[in-house]
Amino acid sequence: MEEQDYILFEDYLSEDLSETEKNAFETRFKTDSKFKESFNTYKELSSFLEHKFENEATSTAFQSNLKTISNAYFEKQETFKKVIQFKPWQYAMAASVILLIGITLFNKLSNPVYGEYANYDSISLTVRGSQDGLLKTAENAFNKKDFAKAEVAFKELLLTDEKNTELQFYRGVTNIELNNFAMADWLLNGLKEGNSVYKNKATWYLALSKLKQKQYDASLKILKTIPEDADDYKAAQKLISKLD
Amino acid sequence: MSEKKLHEDQKYIDGLLQNNSFIIEAIYDKFVPKVINYIKQNSGDSDQAQDIIQDTLITIYNQASEKKLELTCPFDAYFFLLCKRKWLNELKKSSNKEVTIKEELLYKGEDAHELAFETDVFGEKEALFTEMFNKLGTACKDLLTATFKIKSMEEVAESLGVTYAYARKKKSLCIGKLTELVQESPKFNLLNK
Repeated sequence: MEEQDYILFEDYLSEDLSETEKNAFETRFKTDSKFKESFNTYKELSSFLEHKFENEATSTAFQSNLKTISNAYFEKQETFKKVIQFKPWQYAMAASVILLIGITLFNKLSNPVYGEYANYDSISLTVRGSQDGLLKTAENAFNKKDFAKAEVAFKELLLTDEKNTELQFYRGVTNIELNNFAMADWLLNGLKEGNSVYKNKATWYLALSKLKQKQYDASLKILKTIPEDADDYKAAQKLISKLD
Repeated sequence: MSEKKLHEDQKYIDGLLQNNSFIIEAIYDKFVPKVINYIKQNSGDSDQAQDIIQDTLITIYNQASEKKLELTCPFDAYFFLLCKRKWLNELKKSSNKEVTIKEELLYKGEDAHELAFETDVFGEKEALFTEMFNKLGTACKDLLTATFKIKSMEEVAESLGVTYAYARKKKSLCIGKLTELVQESPKFNLLNK
């Protein structure tokens, strides 16, 4: 194609041609196959470039979100595999190692642990009289500390109610309990960055998740962002003094 | 074209497009295990499966956002076929490796194959267009980037310190140049058949 043709393509696409020019264009499009092919490619490329640059931000956001979920999923696969590969005698060995570690820890009276600080109460997700079975399942499972079952229910609930911050929060806690830290941290971090009523609670539990993962510096850093008016401010201060 | 009914699994496509984390998660829970199995049975490992799956979902996302993507078959079949194609291409690239393909699962229904094929072509074209765009001279790349980011040609001209007429003409010529690069590529002719 000549330079002139490409300029013509652009004018046609941006509807800058007069009625006569447009008709001439369309006639040539029908009769000249090379012209037609080039125009189609030109148009396709225009649309490609437009999309590429216009949606760069949303596309990047999608890709990074996808990566987080993918990593959480594959991480869970790995731990699952490790768990089922355990043989009976390995349990005995693990138990004795844990006992040994336990004794040493107690003797040293060392680092604070998650269990001392996790202070959530029983939850009540269902509105009185409402018949939502799945909510009830989640609520009961959570209160009975059957977290594996609670996780399944929360996951299902969030599928149809993805913006529900209460569900997101308790699912976060559930995942700390299950040691699915990637998922827990992702959910809690989302709430921490948001503006829901769970913002401060989620920040507190994100710190506790880091504590459980023995990432003491990360925990400390998060604890220091908990504001004075938060319910857990006092507990956070206490934990800070132990970690610092 | 005959009127085709939208499959209820369209919700997965819409969910991807809205970057809905819980839908993305559901895709991993429901459809990914099969793909991992397939890749592992065919000379791959878990890390490679992770990459193939991620790339496939990005291609689906891109197609859905640039063009319309209307699912007329189950997501499962569509997604599995796409991952499979991608993995086979990957294996072909590293052809030194011994390739053993286990008997494949067959899907009935043309729709899944047709849709997977379209998305596959879309993905390949996208990769080719990106490659060719990078071959353009710096002046063209800068101008096109500015053009599609800023949108107003007047502002583009100002930011680049050229006249409006020149910027506009240059834009057509740069896309023209890109058109030629793409058309000259043997791969494009294969894809455009």
